[in-house]
Amino acid sequence: MKKIEAVIQPHKLEDVREALKEVGIDGMTISDVRGHGRQKGHREVYRGQEYTVDLLPKVKIEIVVPDSRLEETVKALGDAARTGKLGDGKIFISSIDDAIRIRNNDRGEGAL
Amino acid sequence: MTAGAPGLLAGLEPIKQKFLETGDGLEMVRQRSDAVDRAVAALFHEAFGEQAASGVALVAVGGYGRRQLFPCSDVDLLFLFERDSAAEAARDRIAKLLRGLWDGGVRASHSVRTPAEAASLAPDNVELNISLLDARYLAGDMAALARLFERLPGFYAREKQTLARGLDRLTRARHAKHGDTIYHLEPNVKEAPGGLRDFQVACWLSQLAHAEEAAANAVPPEARGFALSPPEQHLPAETRDAWMEAKRFLFALRCYLHCFNGRDNNILTFENQERLAERAGASPQDAAVWMRDYFRNVRVIHRLARRTLDEVATPEHSLFTMFRDRKSRLSNPDFAVARGMLYMRHPEALVQNPGLAMRLFEFIARHGVPPAPETERRIGGAAGNFREYLRKQCGASSGLWFSIASILRLPHAYQALVVMRETGLLAALFPEYERIDCLVVRDFYHRYTVDEHSLRTIKTLHELRAGSDDALTQHFSELMQETERPEVLLFALLFHDVGKGGWEGNHTTAGLALAEQAMERIGMPEPERETVRFLIAHHLDMPAIMTGRDLADPETARAFASQVGTLERLQSLTLMTYADISAVNPEALTPWRKDLLWQLYVATHNQLTREMEAERIGTGAAVAAQLASNYSERQALARFLEGLPTRYLRIHGPDQIRRHFQLKPVLERRSVAVQLGRRHSLYELVVLARDRAFLLASIAGTISSFAMNIVKAEAFSNRDGMILDTFIFADPNRTLELNPSEADRLTSTLEQVVLGKIDVRELLHKRRTPAATHRPRIARHIAFDNQTSPNETLFHVITEDRPGLLYDLASTFSFNRCDIDVVLIDTEGRKAIDVFYVRSKGRKLDDAAARRLCLKLERACSGSEE
Repeated sequence: MKKIEAVIQPHKLEDVREALKEVGIDGMTISDVRGHGRQKGHREVYRGQEYTVDLLPKVKIEIVVPDSRLEETVKALGDAARTGKLGDGKIFISSIDDAIRIRNNDRGEGAL
Repeated sequence: MTAGAPGLLAGLEPIKQKFLETGDGLEMVRQRSDAVDRAVAALFHEAFGEQAASGVALVAVGGYGRRQLFPCSDVDLLFLFERDSAAEAARDRIAKLLRGLWDGGVRASHSVRTPAEAASLAPDNVELNISLLDARYLAGDMAALARLFERLPGFYAREKQTLARGLDRLTRARHAKHGDTIYHLEPNVKEAPGGLRDFQVACWLSQLAHAEEAAANAVPPEARGFALSPPEQHLPAETRDAWMEAKRFLFALRCYLHCFNGRDNNILTFENQERLAERAGASPQDAAVWMRDYFRNVRVIHRLARRTLDEVATPEHSLFTMFRDRKSRLSNPDFAVARGMLYMRHPEALVQNPGLAMRLFEFIARHGVPPAPETERRIGGAAGNFREYLRKQCGASSGLWFSIASILRLPHAYQALVVMRETGLLAALFPEYERIDCLVVRDFYHRYTVDEHSLRTIKTLHELRAGSDDALTQHFSELMQETERPEVLLFALLFHDVGKGGWEGNHTTAGLALAEQAMERIGMPEPERETVRFLIAHHLDMPAIMTGRDLADPETARAFASQVGTLERLQSLTLMTYADISAVNPEALTPWRKDLLWQLYVATHNQLTREMEAERIGTGAAVAAQLASNYSERQALARFLEGLPTRYLRIHGPDQIRRHFQLKPVLERRSVAVQLGRRHSLYELVVLARDRAFLLASIAGTISSFAMNIVKAEAFSNRDGMILDTFIFADPNRTLELNPSEADRLTSTLEQVVLGKIDVRELLHKRRTPAATHRPRIARHIAFDNQTSPNETLFHVITEDRPGLLYDLASTFSFNRCDIDVVLIDTEGRKAIDVFYVRSKGRKLDDAAARRLCLKLERACSGSEE
């Protein structure tokens, strides 16, 4: 099992959800986050005074998928979130040891 | 005799079945309590036997003590031992009894005490002391209980103040946890304001209030139950039917919830609302209608609890007393403030003069003093007269809008509106509000009913106006402080969701129609109406753009800017969005959302400012076609407009543009046209002239020489070299108001100055105030920008405002042979925010020249002469 964590632009969330639904991924955890990578934030001038936006609002999506579904999920997610500009975000993939469904103690991929 | 698990359960199941048939919750909790009594007594005898029971009594306390045992409530037991040592020895027996109860499916919670312990104050646990108000004998040694009952009346008489204050504190904390409102979409029927706990608090407080009487009539030792006096005996009799009905309703409701959920869960979820609506004979779709019954009943209990709390709980420390007494000085011939509450001196006058109610609401909105229960009752009683009064008042000349506006503007407007709603006067004033009264609209995020949500938006903005420590929030706070007529925005908020009441489809469209009829009725002037319409129609735009569009894409700001049109509207819409999201639930406006909203605001603000300042009207034909009546006028107007910044069209309405255009013949005849008028508390001066060097500085200097304080200014020029300058200024010494002739002298002096017949420096010479010696409190910021405009260099100047500042700045540009194309002057308190669009010899300045000019502007700000 793999965990996919993707940090994307907030306005791309709906597109990404649609795309994931098309490849059969319904379950996900979504959170509002703030941060910056190389995009760094930017400077705005308001009324002649500069103010810096250090942390940009982003959305984080977390999904756990069986190994066999990893590539198509990542592709769908990446394609939907891409605008080609700085600040599109990142996708991180890590391995998951086990999963347990709390309700009935199902384990492993069966719990996904 | 054995009373094992099956025995206990068998007794309880038929009671539940009977309840589900009859719906009588009061009967159910009594029967359950009696059934559990029998089981507990049997288990006690089994565990303790005859001998061990000496010196120990088993006592029911809390809800169980009152014989009110809800299906999944805990059974509260007190083991009362005459001696500590006996309690220690009885550990195993107690455990055995409790096990028996658990096995029987009843959750027990217990405590072990001696009579002396039980009747001593537990400052950290007022609930424990209070729970003994309901103590009731179950089994064991009656003498042990008699020992407690001897002590209790004296104890309560002695400690009643402390206990009442403790209850007051707990109740306030509990209410605060539930947002201080009964109007929740999914309320907790026990803990939320107006819930069962509130009813109990009212009962306890009235018992405590009469503790002395009980102490005088000592409880006979053989008494099986202890009560200072029957708990409901002292509750207000005139509303007895209403609160008895509400009590019956809530008891049944909680019983149902326990039966449905199978545990002590008291949240009236959407799903349960549907089930209960169905039980009441309605369809599940009518759950929202059924919920209005709930709110009606809960409102009665909430009022009862507040009333008893206000009467019993006295202030804790002198600071509060001082504060309260200070408030009592607020009293006036109509209203008196006593014990921190508002009373009417002549309540009977309400019948003759229902308009008094509006003054009362204004008083509340100004001072935040809650009305006494008596006052609230009186206002509610006069609702009929008030309705009749309003019927006669309607229309443009009524002045109703002005009384409403003055309430909305005041810092405690929310409190006033809540009182208006509770007394039915809000619905009398705005029958549109009846549609959303207690309306539950299901939504995953919303926590409150539609009416409560709407009123909360107003509370949010007033709180925002007070400022904030958080830097991001402070941005919005400043926007709110700058808003010139917040009442229009607040009115739009009051009506933004009214369309949710019983309409299919788009609530915005429905809301617009309802707001329209209300605005007509209260005689709101047209410009304000237009703003309200715009705000309601677009109140969902910003949230949609914030998360649905790329804020970094300039196209997002461009599209939204063209929709909003003016800075004023952008500001209002931003604040409206801020308030609307905040009032959804306390956590809805996360820093994340706040950030998105602010970014959208700034991007749009900058877009608007840029395009309004840099873009020029290419052809005035389109506007002229709308405003002019014939061909030749159309031609002349088009020419008048060409070359002025686009901003000019955005900030001036058709009437103003026409007025300015009418000055053109004067300009042609006399080479100058000056028009002076009043605008609210300020003055507006419009000058049309032929452009020449030092012109702006001369006009600004002349105004300053009359000791006027310029707060806003705009200087534009058109393609023909005509300048159109607008100055808004304050008259701090009321010179113009007190000496009408001074107005004429001001305009004629100006004409002379513009024509070059008077040198402004001479005028200023007499008036010139020495440069400020104190360190300026506003951080100075002077910068130039060569990117924004294709043909001009922009200079931003932010500095501490002072008389003559604009004259000095404009002179600096002129001395340096710069032409000023556009000037925007704004002041916020002591801060002057000025933007100049400047050319030198028809071109932008190069960076080095602009930097040098910045240094000179810096000196000009300090008041050093060029």
